[in-house]
Amino acid sequence: MSLAISLSGVTKTFGSTVAVDNLDLEMPMGALYGFIGPNGAGKTTTLRMIMSILFPDRGELTVLGRPSAIEAKDRIGYLPEERGVYRKMKVGAFLMYMARLKGVKNFTAERTAAWLERVNLAGVQDKKCEELSKGLLQKVQLICAVLNEPDLLILDEPFSGLDPVNMRLLRDLILAEHRRGATIIFSTHVMVQAEEICDHIVMLHKGRKVLDEDLVSVQRRHDPRALIFEPFERGADASALAALDDVDKITRDGGVYRIDLREGADPVRAMRAVAAAVPPARLEVHRPSLEDIFIGLVT
Amino acid sequence: MSKILVIAWRDFLATVSTKGFIIAIMVPLLSYAAIITVFPRLMNNRVPVISGGLVVIDPTSQVAEGVRRFLEPQAMAARREASFNRALESTAMGGSASSGPGADVARRTVMGDLSKIDITESRPDALEQEKRQLTQDEGVRRFGVLVIHPNAVVPDADGKLGAYDLFVRRNLDIRIQSEIRNGAADAIIDARIRAAGLDRKRIDALTTVARPATITVTAAGESATRPDFGQLLPMGFALLLMISVMSSGQYLLTTTIEEKSSRTMEVLLSAVSPLELLTGKILGQMAVGLMILVTYSSIGILSLVSMAMLGLVDPMLLVYLFIFFLITYVTLGSLMAAIGSSVNELREAQPLMTPITALMMIPWLFSFPISREPNSLFATVVSFVPPMNAFAMLLRLTSTSPPPMWQVWLSIVVGIIAAGSALWFASRIFKIGLLMHGRPPNFATLLKWVRQA
Repeated sequence: MSLAISLSGVTKTFGSTVAVDNLDLEMPMGALYGFIGPNGAGKTTTLRMIMSILFPDRGELTVLGRPSAIEAKDRIGYLPEERGVYRKMKVGAFLMYMARLKGVKNFTAERTAAWLERVNLAGVQDKKCEELSKGLLQKVQLICAVLNEPDLLILDEPFSGLDPVNMRLLRDLILAEHRRGATIIFSTHVMVQAEEICDHIVMLHKGRKVLDEDLVSVQRRHDPRALIFEPFERGADASALAALDDVDKITRDGGVYRIDLREGADPVRAMRAVAAAVPPARLEVHRPSLEDIFIGLVT
Repeated sequence: MSKILVIAWRDFLATVSTKGFIIAIMVPLLSYAAIITVFPRLMNNRVPVISGGLVVIDPTSQVAEGVRRFLEPQAMAARREASFNRALESTAMGGSASSGPGADVARRTVMGDLSKIDITESRPDALEQEKRQLTQDEGVRRFGVLVIHPNAVVPDADGKLGAYDLFVRRNLDIRIQSEIRNGAADAIIDARIRAAGLDRKRIDALTTVARPATITVTAAGESATRPDFGQLLPMGFALLLMISVMSSGQYLLTTTIEEKSSRTMEVLLSAVSPLELLTGKILGQMAVGLMILVTYSSIGILSLVSMAMLGLVDPMLLVYLFIFFLITYVTLGSLMAAIGSSVNELREAQPLMTPITALMMIPWLFSFPISREPNSLFATVVSFVPPMNAFAMLLRLTSTSPPPMWQVWLSIVVGIIAAGSALWFASRIFKIGLLMHGRPPNFATLLKWVRQA
């Protein structure tokens, strides 16, 4: 398996604060990794070290098979968390400037226009950057990250500051880049976003890695073996469910019940029994959210 | 390398296309034009028209007529013409400028309109009454009472020669007073010579020796020596170096701070390494500095060409100016970029800039002693202490006693080592400072960053 990113014992401190502590990470080519954790977990510092913008105090890292991202920057796209533009520069000129810095040849005005159109910004190339709103500029910056069709795309909090429509647009763009074959790693502290997009999760807490696993197995491993049940008739008596063989306990939250199953219980058999006891309007296996998992891991 | 050049080109264009830069380039050009055209008019150096009355009390009866002749309009005009021509000859332009269009303007300015002086004579016993007239503004305006001493021409019993007293009204122009004094002195001398039975013209001829200009002999030929040019040249070169280095260094500082505070830095770092970014920025602003240097140098060279004095400047001096510009710019530019990367706004950069600015001012403070004694111990020592060495060496190179060549090249080598060290120092601070926000660092923190990087 060829690796896009490999970190081994990477540590970074700022003064007395250990931002990243002895981090090991292997990310295969073509993967879509979510880098999650609360603010201050060390996500941005790690991504900056991967990009060779910061340098680790200890440890080894390789990026696209090179000992430093500096040697492979033309193959990498990076959207930093703190992003800015030359305010007085025209949008089109700024994109062409970034394309030249990334070694993209023939990034013509037509290609610029096509990229802008792809993110619903058609016709803004002759506007100065300062004339665009923060959200629109964020899309311009996203183009900067992907215009070189990178092998590795690193996005640091890409969704922050976007409205729902543009969030969807960005998500589609990320998935399109992934389908193209790009290896993608993006950080977020909003874990729902990672659940929606990623196939692998790396969770950081206080600079330490607390989880590094693919999403399905994470959810399976942390499956609390619980069902979510909503009776067909509002106000129906659901107390009979507590007497079922597979049920451990029932917790009510408004009109919705959480049914925890006993150790070793078969969820399918339990669901049949629940449905037979009280007709359901909704009955499903409860999947733990990343937030639940994170809280479970750090508390 | 191509990425570095891309950054350099953008930084260069972004700087030179701003209104501020265009104004900064145009201001010296406009100032130069103003100095030779508008400024003299604004300064109103024109000799004032003398219009009014001068009372002469001459108990000797031998001086008043001489004063009258001296202050006649035609006589005053002739003296001013002669004075103007002497002044013109002593300027850096010399006689070559006396026939130009500027000379006519200057001549008219200096000559002014012809004066109209009403000279009347009075008696010694009317002195108090005449003095009272000076306080009155009605009627013909009197501006002075000239009282010739009784023994001004012929010595008194004690063998002493007298002179004159001059009473003037309030706020009388000092140049008019000077004219009257000169007239009185000239008339008294003339009367004394006549009283002694001598010939004034013959005495003047015997006591006047012409003062010819010295001739400088060079391989290119002979030309009039310009001692004032020899003093101006070192200052001109040092000024060129200072303006170009400080301007481009300042631009480097401000653009770095802008890119950092607008968070553009990290976007750029997604495509290039910190060292490439630093090098590109330094090269871009170096081109800006060179543009300033070339523009200002061209003005100077064109001026020399117009005065037919280009031959007095050794072309090698321009080569040294270029070399010392590169050395000093890289040294100071690196430090400026390092400071710019470590702070969040221009205000925070000031405490870190102060020692650098102070260091740069040292050669200026000692420019006069260095250019006057270019081979003194102080001048020699400063020539090897970067970043001051460039200024000191340029002052010495353009002086009348240039230093030996080994000193020049040693100074260049020292400068190159200093520039390399500054670049290394700056690259380490730049790497860490770029992404540091919050409290600005002090010098101790910067040194810590250098060790950490």
